Amino acid sequence: MPFMEFVNFYLMPGIVLGSIYALGAVGITLVFGILRFAHLAHGDLATLGAFAALGVVTIFGVSPWVALPAAMVFCAFMAIGIDKLFYDYLSERPKIIVVMSSLGIALMLRAIVQVVWGVDTETYTRGIVRPDDYWGIRIRDREIYTIIAMFVIVGVLWAFLQKTKWGKAMRAMSDNPDLALLSGVDNRKITMLTWGIVGMLCAASGFFLGINTELKPLMGWTMLLPMFAAAILGGVGRVEGAVIGGLIVGIAEETSVLFIPGEYKAAMAFAILLLILLVRPTGLLKGKVL
Amino acid sequence: MTSQAIAEQPMPKKTEPQKYSGKPILTMTGVRGGYGDADILQGVDMQVTEQEIVVIVGPNGAGKSTAMKAIFGLLKVRGGSIVVNGTDIAGWKPNRIVQHGVCYVPQVNNIFREMTIHENLEMGAFLRKGDISESLERVYTLFPDLKERRNALAGNLSGGQRQMVAMGRALMLNPSLLLLDEPTAGLSPKYMEQIFEITRNLRDAGLSILLVEQHAKQALAFADKGYVLAAGSNRHEGTGQELLADREVAEMFLGG
Repeated sequence: MPFMEFVNFYLMPGIVLGSIYALGAVGITLVFGILRFAHLAHGDLATLGAFAALGVVTIFGVSPWVALPAAMVFCAFMAIGIDKLFYDYLSERPKIIVVMSSLGIALMLRAIVQVVWGVDTETYTRGIVRPDDYWGIRIRDREIYTIIAMFVIVGVLWAFLQKTKWGKAMRAMSDNPDLALLSGVDNRKITMLTWGIVGMLCAASGFFLGINTELKPLMGWTMLLPMFAAAILGGVGRVEGAVIGGLIVGIAEETSVLFIPGEYKAAMAFAILLLILLVRPTGLLKGKVL
Repeated sequence: MTSQAIAEQPMPKKTEPQKYSGKPILTMTGVRGGYGDADILQGVDMQVTEQEIVVIVGPNGAGKSTAMKAIFGLLKVRGGSIVVNGTDIAGWKPNRIVQHGVCYVPQVNNIFREMTIHENLEMGAFLRKGDISESLERVYTLFPDLKERRNALAGNLSGGQRQMVAMGRALMLNPSLLLLDEPTAGLSPKYMEQIFEITRNLRDAGLSILLVEQHAKQALAFADKGYVLAAGSNRHEGTGQELLADREVAEMFLGG
């Protein structure tokens, strides 16, 4: 197979898919690191974000790119609200109860999407977009924007975590929660801040999956396993690890078609997850032990 | 001093607080409490006055660290009072106690391992608004080793340096009372001496320090006052020298 064919049909789609996974995996890793549970409603929150953007597009007739920030803000408030109503209420209980309740939230969110937008497949814009040719690399504009947006969003988050007082407090809470409390960090504020950020990341990953493929009520749920695989592969609690993990899982899924039948593409995430848990449970960048 | 001479020392009675003339920073009276339903502390009395190092010694399980955690609101206090700077803080939450001028250095897990030394110190000043550069400079003057490695991850430091980070973090809020829970546990003699030296310097700079210490002899040698706890209540108290000279204390609690 010629090299350019590999780049155009396997590597580039892998990077695009990986960017979408990365956005979700960063959120999963934040919830894991700071709130210490596996958030199973992550995918369906992404679905809700994607459909919220669709709602903005149909009601106001604006470009999907304008709808993205609105959907991110909407999902931030949704995530904070879900935490207030459910997770916070259960916070003194064993973590497994919170995990199982997040599965319930996932079903509730999916039901909301199905009630409001129906069960049919939707798209942001109609028509077929042909890829442009850049020195032999064939790529669509929206794919370029997806990759750039992922790096910008994660870059802003990274700068927030490294440079600002509250970002450092979030890292401190992830690092040593008892000592963070002794230093006077307010647990409740950190939790709300985390959910706000996680909601925005969810909306972004759902939106980019929607704009590159199509919107389905199950779109987020099917992303859940690859996103978890990416977060664990990168090292739980490590933002930069989640990006690397997301890209690896995305590229592995797309290139797996070269070796195994396409129907088994989704099994790649499973295989990666299994392998990393057996070989290096702390992930590539030495995250927390699960 | 011969053992004969030690035997002739008068038994120290429960000394009255007025013996120590300074302004009281911390006064614990009849404190009872514990983690679960059982009381570990069975009525503890203690006083730390201005610019003083007070050491709590005693056998394992005597409630030394527990007494310290009671001050910092980390366990249920079911009786007695804990007065700091004129206010009873019994039952307060730790983050409120921090704002009241009490800082606590736990024995273990006392640093943010994945953050740099500098960030650890910044986290210590989390509750402060405005400029913290003066406090940073003061901590770096106390611990010159830390200034050199300010951008190193705290988790990569040696045990002694970690303890310095932990103490530095607690000092960032300019507390009036510093609680140190076994700061020299597991440290080499060189670092132990260095930590004790810094503790003395802090006292001389005006801070009051309450110290739980396994190395009881070394700590009592420079302490202004010591309390011997056993089974959750006061057993002996006196100046460091008095306790060192007390035969019973020496035999029972200081290893002869």
